[in-house]
Amino acid sequence: MAKIGVFICHCGENIASKVDCTKLAAAIGEHPGVEVSVEYKYFCSDPGQESVKKAIRDNNLTGIVIAACSPRMHEATFRKACAEAGLNPYLCEIANIREQCSWVHTDKDMATEKAMDITRSMIEKVKRNNKLQPIEVPVTRRALVIGGGIAGIQAALDIANAGQEVVLVEREPSLGGHMAQLSETFPTLDCSQCIMTPRMVEAAQHPKIRLLTYAEVEHVDGYIGNFKVRIRMKSRYVDIDTCTGCGDCMTKCPVKKIPNEFDCGLGKRTAIYTPFAQSVPNIPVIDKTSCIYFKNGKCKTCMKSCQINAINFDIKDEFIELEVGAIVVATGFQVQNTAGYGEYGYGKYPDVITGLQFERLASASGPTAGKILRSSDGKVPETVVFIQCAGSRDPSKGVRYCSKICCMYTAKHAMLYSHKVHGGKTHIFYMDIRAAGKGYDEFTRRAIEEDEASYLRGRVSKVWEENGKLMVRGVDTLLGKPVVIEADMVVLATAMVPQPNAKEFAKIIGIAYDEYGYYNEAHLKLRPVESSTAGVFLAGACQSPKDIPDSVAQASASASKVLALFSKEKLEREPVVAATNEITCAGCWGCVLACPYNAIEKKDIFDRSGRLVKRVASVNPGLCQGCGTCVTFCRSNSIDLAGFTEKQIFAEVMGL
Amino acid sequence: MITQEKYRTRVKELLASNSVKMVIGYKQGSTADRRRPLFVRSFEEADELVLDSNCIGNLAGYLVTEGLLSDEKRVGIFLRPEGIRSINILAAESQLNPEQIIIFGFDTSGREVKALQGEQAEDFSGLIDSLKEKPPEKSSDALLYRIDQMNTEERFAFWKDEFSRCIKCYACRQACPMCYCRRCIVDSNQPQWINTSSHTLGNFEWNIVRAFHLAGRCVGCGNCDRACPVNIPLRFINARMAQEVFESFDHYAGTSQTQEPVLASFNKDDSETFIL
Repeated sequence: MAKIGVFICHCGENIASKVDCTKLAAAIGEHPGVEVSVEYKYFCSDPGQESVKKAIRDNNLTGIVIAACSPRMHEATFRKACAEAGLNPYLCEIANIREQCSWVHTDKDMATEKAMDITRSMIEKVKRNNKLQPIEVPVTRRALVIGGGIAGIQAALDIANAGQEVVLVEREPSLGGHMAQLSETFPTLDCSQCIMTPRMVEAAQHPKIRLLTYAEVEHVDGYIGNFKVRIRMKSRYVDIDTCTGCGDCMTKCPVKKIPNEFDCGLGKRTAIYTPFAQSVPNIPVIDKTSCIYFKNGKCKTCMKSCQINAINFDIKDEFIELEVGAIVVATGFQVQNTAGYGEYGYGKYPDVITGLQFERLASASGPTAGKILRSSDGKVPETVVFIQCAGSRDPSKGVRYCSKICCMYTAKHAMLYSHKVHGGKTHIFYMDIRAAGKGYDEFTRRAIEEDEASYLRGRVSKVWEENGKLMVRGVDTLLGKPVVIEADMVVLATAMVPQPNAKEFAKIIGIAYDEYGYYNEAHLKLRPVESSTAGVFLAGACQSPKDIPDSVAQASASASKVLALFSKEKLEREPVVAATNEITCAGCWGCVLACPYNAIEKKDIFDRSGRLVKRVASVNPGLCQGCGTCVTFCRSNSIDLAGFTEKQIFAEVMGL
Repeated sequence: MITQEKYRTRVKELLASNSVKMVIGYKQGSTADRRRPLFVRSFEEADELVLDSNCIGNLAGYLVTEGLLSDEKRVGIFLRPEGIRSINILAAESQLNPEQIIIFGFDTSGREVKALQGEQAEDFSGLIDSLKEKPPEKSSDALLYRIDQMNTEERFAFWKDEFSRCIKCYACRQACPMCYCRRCIVDSNQPQWINTSSHTLGNFEWNIVRAFHLAGRCVGCGNCDRACPVNIPLRFINARMAQEVFESFDHYAGTSQTQEPVLASFNKDDSETFIL
């Protein structure tokens, strides 16, 4: 015999102002099977929860309904209270009479009627609820960090320093990511490489970190605590164990004029190369597309120059299969392709460059050894125009969002330029100066007040060349006048965009992404570092545009989530999973296709003599996320979802 | 008549060489223009085979009779193009192994019967692709044309009136080659989602559920329509669903043995007009 307790919460005035809780409690008290029906100001408060627990114990309740806010808010709270009172937590249901009733209605009588219906329907459901036990799954205590930029390195170091194993995978030949390319960093102007390279070295030498560079994650299977990952180790054609990194091969390589990706095309590199001098590991790779040997089968100059025979053109790509318990995705960003900005002449005029190219010019390790020089004639530019929001906040270019870092780095560029070129003039076209952050506004003020950057509030319509000068036509909206500036160099603060293959990669890992390809967090405010898939965490600019402090903070946050996951040997999963009825399953496999988590497998059923009788669908409870997609697809109604069974839902509907 | 003789001979050849254990075809029915299914296991039975323009039933459903194909022996079957499409769907849904099915394909125009080239379902893919290219004209059926012209209220009233005759005998389900579930959803009574009574609500529930279960799977063979003892024009409901999935998802039921079910698969460029 059901003995249901119903607890009606006022939520202060949130519910009580629109629902007559006293009337509701009285009406519900009459409902068959209801043993207790009480109201209270805040059931989520300590005394509120205590009263629920007491009622469960005193009345030997077989189930409870909390008529209150959305189950998203306090379902976990009350389930825990149930467990503490000795009642299975899955015998607790929440009737949402706040978001779905009091907040959206104005007529008190009708809202009260509706609250009664909602509560009754949940009473009917909870009468049919079953006791469910959490599913325990083992945890592989090894983390995979994808991306060796500052975010990935930080996450890997934090996890490794806590004593857990980490596999750090980087697509490029060296760790470092975008941060290694930067000159100085705002707001303190410390040298990026000087603070970055010690971290790179620390990660590479850490006993708990297995570093896989020039490697890509190709396949991810499994679920939280139990992922199986396949990684392609791209062949460097250089034996990583024997190579000493002396660099002889690079000096001898006859192909010397390949635009250097690390220098954003401003410098040149050879076909066998390391991306930059402090590469970690300091082992070169052969760029197959440029190497003469791979083009026509002759050359091997590098091989001959190598005194320890570390170069081998027959090395093939290798695959590594790994088991990991958690994944941190720190795949970073790219700079938007400026080809869409014909009006600014990028690609047409060599002295119209991107912000990242300016970083390389300003960097001591860059192609000009830190001198600001024009690519066209090698002269020092006397006037530089910076154009902010070249792509960002521009729906016509497909980027509606703010790239967040450009205001700061443009101020930094203007500052660096004025430090390097005394008497040089800087003009900055901006829409707004967004300098929210510790020391950020002070930094932009310093650019204006001490380094005399001239800020013009307005957009640039066109850049063209005239008498060897770049003519920049824009508008100064504060003066209400069009302006034309003669410049020697134009720097575009191009938008940050997701990696070009971000969406495809998201599908490999099985996480959600937004319209641009940035990875979605589980909750924008309350779960910002968790992805939509349990056990996969996000760090850095793969989630949204971020500067270095934010990326590092998020990386450490991800690491703490990973460590929390690794703190137990077994993981408790919600038992809300699907199960098939093997007797009625017709084996059409529609559910296998429909399942977004690949949680449904084909299972063979044999008779006693070992003859195959039929094949049916079978759900792996470790993989199942309880979404119910398979249930709705199954034509013969052969799949049921624990906690939301057909019988329970039917009773809930009929209770209305 | 030539096709009939040719196929009788071929059936005997296959039986004689033990290439098939049975052939499912048509024989004379209770009236002059009715045909009923014939299960040929011997030469004598083969002589009873009839093939003419009255052979309109889709026999594909008999293939999924429990146990028929489990010995992995081959079975022959007489099929029109839509029947061949049924074979593709059944194969795609893992209900049979298409290699076990020897097809005697035929089509009719007027009173004339012509044989279709091929023996295995995949041999007919060219034919099916050409059918997809030119779906039948809507105006070809007077009643369908009338239904198409109706507005939503009129159409609802029309079907309400038609369904009022439904006696929930489930003959439509039994006749449909796609209704192979061992336990149909209407036979599931814990809980009883679909009302068993043949009142308006129950009749609507059953017929709408059936329409959805056949979305992207119905080949328009008309078995349900002919089986209905109270003459509800059921094929038009399914034809409408077929048109919807064709227009929305370019899905034409039964084009291949690997076709994914339209309601369980998802493509990036699927129309999402329902998302506001």
